[in-house]
Amino acid sequence: MSIYISKAQDVAGKAVALEDLVLTTALPTTGGSRMLEGYMSLFDAEVVGKLEAAGFGIAGKVNVGEFGFDVLGETSYFGTCADAEGNVVSATSALLAEGEVEAVVGLDVNGAQRRAAALSGQVCVKPTYGAVSRFGTIAVACSGETVCVSANSAEVAREVLAAIAGHDDKDGTSLPEARCALVAGESAPFERKKIALAQGLVSRADDATKAAIARFVEFAEAAGFAVEEVDDAVLEAARPAWNVLMSAELCNNVSRFDGVKYGYRSANAETIDDLYTNSRTEAFGEVLKTAILYGSEMLSEENYDKMYDKSLRVRRVVCERFAQIFAEYDAVLLPACLKAAYAPADFEADKFLCYKANDCTAPASITGLPAVVAGGVQLVGPAFSDAALLALAGQFETAKEVR
Amino acid sequence: MRYETVIGLEVHVELATDSKIFCSCANRSGDEQNTHVCPACCGMPGMLPVTNKRAVDLGMTAGMMLNCHINRTTTFDKKSYYYPDLPCSYQTTQWFSPVAVNGTVTIDAGNGPKDIRIKQIHMEEDAGKLVHDTLSNTTLVDFNRTSVPLIEIVSQPDLSSADEVVAYLERLRSLLRFAKVSECRMELGTMRCDVNLSVRPEGSDVLGVRTEMKNMNSISAIRRAIAYEVDRHIDAIENGTEVLVQETRRWDDEKGMSFAMRNKETAGDYRYFPDPNVMPIVIDDAWFNRIKDTLPPFPEVKKQQLIDAGLTEYDADLLTQSRVLCDCFDAAFAVSGLAKECANWIATNCLAVLKKNGQTMDDLALSGTRLGELVKLVGDGVVSNANAKKILDAMFEAEGADLDPKAYAEVNDMVISNDADAVMDVIRAIVAANQKDADDFRGGNEKAINPLFGKCMKELKGNCTPQQLREMLISYLVPSA
Amino acid sequence: MNKEVLIRLEKLNQLRLTDEQEAATLAFFDEREAEMTALDAIDTTDVVRMVHVMPLENVLREDVASQPFTREALQAGAPAAEDGYWQVPRTVD
Repeated sequence: MSIYISKAQDVAGKAVALEDLVLTTALPTTGGSRMLEGYMSLFDAEVVGKLEAAGFGIAGKVNVGEFGFDVLGETSYFGTCADAEGNVVSATSALLAEGEVEAVVGLDVNGAQRRAAALSGQVCVKPTYGAVSRFGTIAVACSGETVCVSANSAEVAREVLAAIAGHDDKDGTSLPEARCALVAGESAPFERKKIALAQGLVSRADDATKAAIARFVEFAEAAGFAVEEVDDAVLEAARPAWNVLMSAELCNNVSRFDGVKYGYRSANAETIDDLYTNSRTEAFGEVLKTAILYGSEMLSEENYDKMYDKSLRVRRVVCERFAQIFAEYDAVLLPACLKAAYAPADFEADKFLCYKANDCTAPASITGLPAVVAGGVQLVGPAFSDAALLALAGQFETAKEVR
Repeated sequence: MRYETVIGLEVHVELATDSKIFCSCANRSGDEQNTHVCPACCGMPGMLPVTNKRAVDLGMTAGMMLNCHINRTTTFDKKSYYYPDLPCSYQTTQWFSPVAVNGTVTIDAGNGPKDIRIKQIHMEEDAGKLVHDTLSNTTLVDFNRTSVPLIEIVSQPDLSSADEVVAYLERLRSLLRFAKVSECRMELGTMRCDVNLSVRPEGSDVLGVRTEMKNMNSISAIRRAIAYEVDRHIDAIENGTEVLVQETRRWDDEKGMSFAMRNKETAGDYRYFPDPNVMPIVIDDAWFNRIKDTLPPFPEVKKQQLIDAGLTEYDADLLTQSRVLCDCFDAAFAVSGLAKECANWIATNCLAVLKKNGQTMDDLALSGTRLGELVKLVGDGVVSNANAKKILDAMFEAEGADLDPKAYAEVNDMVISNDADAVMDVIRAIVAANQKDADDFRGGNEKAINPLFGKCMKELKGNCTPQQLREMLISYLVPSA
Repeated sequence: MNKEVLIRLEKLNQLRLTDEQEAATLAFFDEREAEMTALDAIDTTDVVRMVHVMPLENVLREDVASQPFTREALQAGAPAAEDGYWQVPRTVD
């Protein structure tokens, strides 16, 4: 079990852990990669200061998949975690299951935290893009990734999100304070009392996941919501489009890891090209390498228009489809993961599952819309509906307990 | 067969900002290696780019000075390649929507005016510097220059000779210096250029094979490089000495030859894409007009204005080499009304001090208003020329702090009293001690007054204007005069 | 996508794959290519590309210089440094 990559000596305040994509000066930050083994940042991420100011203490750095874009952390250089049944679990959900920390703050690059929360019955909020500063997180897929909060309850997730939301001049994509405050504030409840069910995605889910959706539908209807199926064909196009955008941005962002300035340098570095190629070849994992090559190809002269630019256009189409839905509905209900569990054999059969397991997370990733996972289901709402989504998730949790 | 040369230039100009384009490190060259660096410009993870507003202002200014269309929405993109001077392995530049497009620069290389079309001006970050250590066979990397804001001015292939290239570069330099966009000093690398050159039979409308020579940084080297390349191309075409290929070459000025550079990525390999971390820059009318309103006149227009104000061509030429000098002159002239004198004080005395301090014209940090007051004090006979120079030195030594020349003259006893009684006492004593000179003067030898005058001046220690002393001395020696 | 293009991509990205990894990567490319039908199905003829999901503009900073980090701190984790420089094998032009 490799939950922590590094652990603090003392924790002052309510303990939260950080995924190892969040830079800290007190502890090394690896990004789950051999490339950054032992890397010490000269500055703290913006969220670190905000957490401390709100009375939280950093308990340690949690293992993540290499640069955070995999299914559940299975690509980490520092090993993976499994549950009692031998299924792969993310280090974050393993840590939350132990109950020693209130929450884990991470970077949602490709939905790993939302999937982990769905598989473990925990809560995860991926806030509205721009509401939490990304300053001091290791950049991977900047156009869609956001700082996220994983916790055992919607209430704690809300409390931690309130602590870290806010404008930051050091992040050029950070929203104005007044907008950030919408995310951090008390819930402005949903008023339409209508939820859209993404029928296509739900129909492809396994039975356990379908059952979780059914439980939510039952709860929502009891709480006075109408739940109606909507056509989600456009939302399903989010995955291939996000795969293109994410890989291209990832290729570019991790190109800074070249063995020159810091981090891993190969012992075989006679020439500058040897230094680059050997360092990157030795320090990067297989899935990352393939993702880099794919991203690079998506940006090539031949492919740029039909792949990259096309994906940017599809992003707008997906946003418009969501806007259409939100004109009528409060939120979209969908799974966070089509499978209820991943066995190590699944990854042996397909190393690149992270390009498929993200069907349900890509719609919120590519649009920057807020998403909350609770009770094994995912709700995606309009921008700034974070608090309302969390409130609804909280009610779902309570309803489950009462029952 | 006669040939014609077709040349297009890509000119890189470092912008005169205080800080870098996407981080807050100082934009300063010449300092110790890696002393103006931070995690962002060292390529460390976690930093995000935030664009320097002044860099955009200067990019727009350059566009307007070169008669370009300013794109009202301008964006930044990422360009990927590996090289040790590029710490992120990508350069943030403008590929899809540069700040300015479609301009013209008029040059005169001796055959009358010719318009050179500007394709575009884009902003980007500079790369670092590499130092090769032969002893240890290593390369040393300095990131001080990394992320310094640049503009790249891309011309159309409208230039046809080394003379035109030089005229074009000098014109760019003059316009951009005058607009305070950059000091454009090739010797310091704040202005560099890539020369794209091809040769074709005269009258042909098919372009020949184009080669690019990178990072040329002196006018004379550019002349030599163009001459060499033209010969090489013609030789290849006529004698088949080699097969010309489209490639990037390096000019070795010592050897007087160009060499093909190691095969780097071709343009298609740069994988440009829009930077998700840099929001679009939208230039509204207010911003556009704020820049437009601060544009200086073209240097030649300003030069004519100075000549009309009474300056010699030489002085007007000198002042219009630097906007700083012009601004100083304008302020000084406004206070004093003494055009020639102001120009003279700047061109002679001020530049002498700058030269002594190892500074350039653009380093002049003197208040033009105060200089004008000083010039007027001399003109009005309140302060002697010699003392005025001392006051000027004090003004320079004050290093930007305000120094009122009149107050300084009063405190330091430099105000010419022109006290007639005191002057007459000195004249009487000097004439009494130098009767021979006095008699010679009275006898018609006009030059004989000079030693008397000099001795009086010395005795008076500047407390009388030369004009008044001369009048009083003559009327004392020859009362009837 | 074929092996030749893949090798060029490896070079461009300073990576070297084993034969086995190359085979897996080629299969990966094929699989992604097959998914593109979902993108092709969406008509984007008149759709403006969307780089940023939030419509912010003119996020700019004032031109003020500062130097909060020392060279020593910045080079503390350098694999090789000399005399205040980062050090790499000799590059050739």
